[in-house]
Amino acid sequence: MKEIAGYLPRFQEGELEYRTLTFEGKSEKLDIQVPVLSKQQLDDVIAVIKQASANILKSLTVTEIIQIIDRVIEQLLDRTNPYRQKAEKLLPIVTGYDEELIRIGLTNYLKTFRKQNLQRFLVEDFGNPLLLDDFQPRTKRGFSKAVGANLTVQIWSGNVPALPLWSLISNLLVKSGTIGKVPSAEPLFAGWFANMIVETEPRLADCLAVIWWKGGDEEKERQLFQQADIVLAYGGNQSLESIKSRVPITTRFLPFGHKISFGIVSKISLDSRKAWKTVRDAAYDVIRYDQQGCYSPHLFYVQKGGNVSPREFARYLAHELENFEQRYPRRTLSIEEGVSLAEWRQKEEMSLFTKQEKEVLGEQNGSWTVVFGGNEGELTPSCLNRVIKVVEVDELIDVLPNIEAYRTYLQTVGIAASPNELFQMAELLGAAGVTRITALGHMTSPEAGWHHDGRFNLLDLVNMVDIEHSAEEYAESLASYVD
Amino acid sequence: MTQEIVKRVLEFIKNDDHTEDAFNDQALQLFRYQYKHNIPFQMYCRQKGKTPRMVKSWKDIPAVPINAFKELTLSCEDPENAEDVFMTSGTTKGIRGKHYHPTLDVYNHSMLKNFRERFMNGHERMKMGILFPTEEEMPNSSLSHYLALAFKECGTNDSHYFVNEKGLQVDSLLLELEQAEETGNPLALLGASFSFVHLFEELQARGRSFRLPAGSRILDTGGFKNKSKELDLETFYTTLSTLLGVEKSHCINMYGMTELSTQFYDDGNAMVPSVKSGPHWIRTRVINPLTGEEVPNGEKGVLVHCDLANYNSVTTILTEDLGMENEEGFLLLGRVQGAEAKGCSIAVDEFIAAAKEPSQ
Repeated sequence: MKEIAGYLPRFQEGELEYRTLTFEGKSEKLDIQVPVLSKQQLDDVIAVIKQASANILKSLTVTEIIQIIDRVIEQLLDRTNPYRQKAEKLLPIVTGYDEELIRIGLTNYLKTFRKQNLQRFLVEDFGNPLLLDDFQPRTKRGFSKAVGANLTVQIWSGNVPALPLWSLISNLLVKSGTIGKVPSAEPLFAGWFANMIVETEPRLADCLAVIWWKGGDEEKERQLFQQADIVLAYGGNQSLESIKSRVPITTRFLPFGHKISFGIVSKISLDSRKAWKTVRDAAYDVIRYDQQGCYSPHLFYVQKGGNVSPREFARYLAHELENFEQRYPRRTLSIEEGVSLAEWRQKEEMSLFTKQEKEVLGEQNGSWTVVFGGNEGELTPSCLNRVIKVVEVDELIDVLPNIEAYRTYLQTVGIAASPNELFQMAELLGAAGVTRITALGHMTSPEAGWHHDGRFNLLDLVNMVDIEHSAEEYAESLASYVD
Repeated sequence: MTQEIVKRVLEFIKNDDHTEDAFNDQALQLFRYQYKHNIPFQMYCRQKGKTPRMVKSWKDIPAVPINAFKELTLSCEDPENAEDVFMTSGTTKGIRGKHYHPTLDVYNHSMLKNFRERFMNGHERMKMGILFPTEEEMPNSSLSHYLALAFKECGTNDSHYFVNEKGLQVDSLLLELEQAEETGNPLALLGASFSFVHLFEELQARGRSFRLPAGSRILDTGGFKNKSKELDLETFYTTLSTLLGVEKSHCINMYGMTELSTQFYDDGNAMVPSVKSGPHWIRTRVINPLTGEEVPNGEKGVLVHCDLANYNSVTTILTEDLGMENEEGFLLLGRVQGAEAKGCSIAVDEFIAAAKEPSQ
């Protein structure tokens, strides 16, 4: 099978060059062609987008933009839509995830971009979304307007399907032109979305481009970054560091590095009636996208003293992971992933020699692994792909010293606890660097308008333009109608 | 007991019995010995349910991951009394794997018999140039011991080392190469792959190249280990042959590990990747890392070596090397890189590296 990825505005001269990325699914092979632009073509695209961003995108009201996005999302939620069908067919081949898991995941995810949710995005960041359309009066007197960049470059990463939508939609909402680089691991969804936007509103044809270049291509990145107002990038700290070195000081750089997340389970959630749900929720967070998301758990801290002990929790979790494996099998691992998993597991097995209280649970084929680590509390990363550690704590606050050292890497905590515990822990976790606290079972589906890594989705993408009161007053004195 | 075992291993190496049965008997005997005297190994076997009663073939012996050499003391004898200990080079965490040799007799026999057969090309001795530090400078390096053995036992009196604490001694090495060209006496150059890359850079900077006399040979080993530019195999051997005038078929690559006592060689690198093979006292399986089962012939997997010269530690180790089996041996397809995170979740390696940096 063949599929052409990406999206390009209507421009220009010259043959387009494509690079083929090959994906091997369970039964089918898929060749994806991603557009690679020459230096000249890239310059042309940049110029076209900047112009369209200024003339067309900025002439639309934010309500009109929301309507366009909403219409596209509505089509994507419709399972008879050709794009949706293509997504359900091709994404399992590209990412290796189970088809059913992708179908559920897509629907859940896309729902966060319906009209009402997009309005929530806007209010969350701006209070008054009209700030994006017009100068609005401020309480301190004067007026302000939020102006989106002419050109934002976005470098996406990851193989969680459709992940680029967060930042791509955010950019559209603030009326900023976008050039996005698709990740080699999932190069499809962003391009489809761009095509659908243009099919819905042809006037936006020249406002965005979805392309590919080899990560770290210095020449191309410099050329692009020189002409961008904002560069937004996802990736590991090392690649972000190298991207940063190419971003001019006058260009705003928004890096989203890799993160680590974990779960906290209070003994209150472990009485005989509630425990099964708690365990199932925890297992669900583990199997969703095989822990590849920044919000996926690496470890669960489980409080002692409940009806179900932390050790039993680990065993139940193992059982639940086996159930999920039957229904939603883990994707096939590459040999590299297989080796890291085997290594991780062997290391835990060897540590049993000295730590008798530990336990390593898992099938011979390694489709999931649960390690009960006793009181080995330090937040250690899992090798992912359904490998999870359970650690016991006496009190919930005992989690804190274990995560202290990693504050710049912390992101989500999935928690099962009473309201009092929730708010007490939220205070402490927030101080320790955690930026998102969610229900166990919801770790992998953040709410609309969440503050990704503690930042604002939209505010970081605009400049505020102020008209100070003095200017207004001064102008009054010069008005034609002045006495 | 130990002397008895050492004697038997030496005999096995000496007797050229290549049969599966002979290998199997010897492997099982060593397994029982190691199971009894190497306590961490015994615990590992028990956990895997592989006691001497369950192990019927050398293929059943649990393969010990090379990381275990970092975490555990794998020795049948008191490590305090070891004649030598070889250590792996540093890792992300700075813990080095240790391989104890109560006597170097077995290692030396294994190395020399194999080396003569696979590198010396029928010569008793050759003039050698060694591009690696001496044993005195790197006392715990198995490679420096290996090269010192080659130098001592198979090198002529006028052989030399060309690396010291100041690095590669380019000037004296160039003199040696010139002299070889003039006299027409074949020269063997042996060293780490990265040392040759440093030599390339020097030669290219000076615009020099040589045509070493017929019969000259080159042995490189160990890859680049971030100590030089990474070259792909094709470029490496082409450059080697262009700059030194030694045919690629006479450029031998040795594949060895601190955790082993026996090495693998290819028969030149006219074609890359070359086929590697070892002597009759070592056997290799290619496995799926997750299940531990052998992959079908011609498929990629991780290498497991069963080295009967590893009499004191463990015979069977699970490497981090990718390979593919074929008729004559196996293709070495490089090291398994730490799996890169595909999503935005942090990967273990990255985390360890990041956690070591001062927090900002």
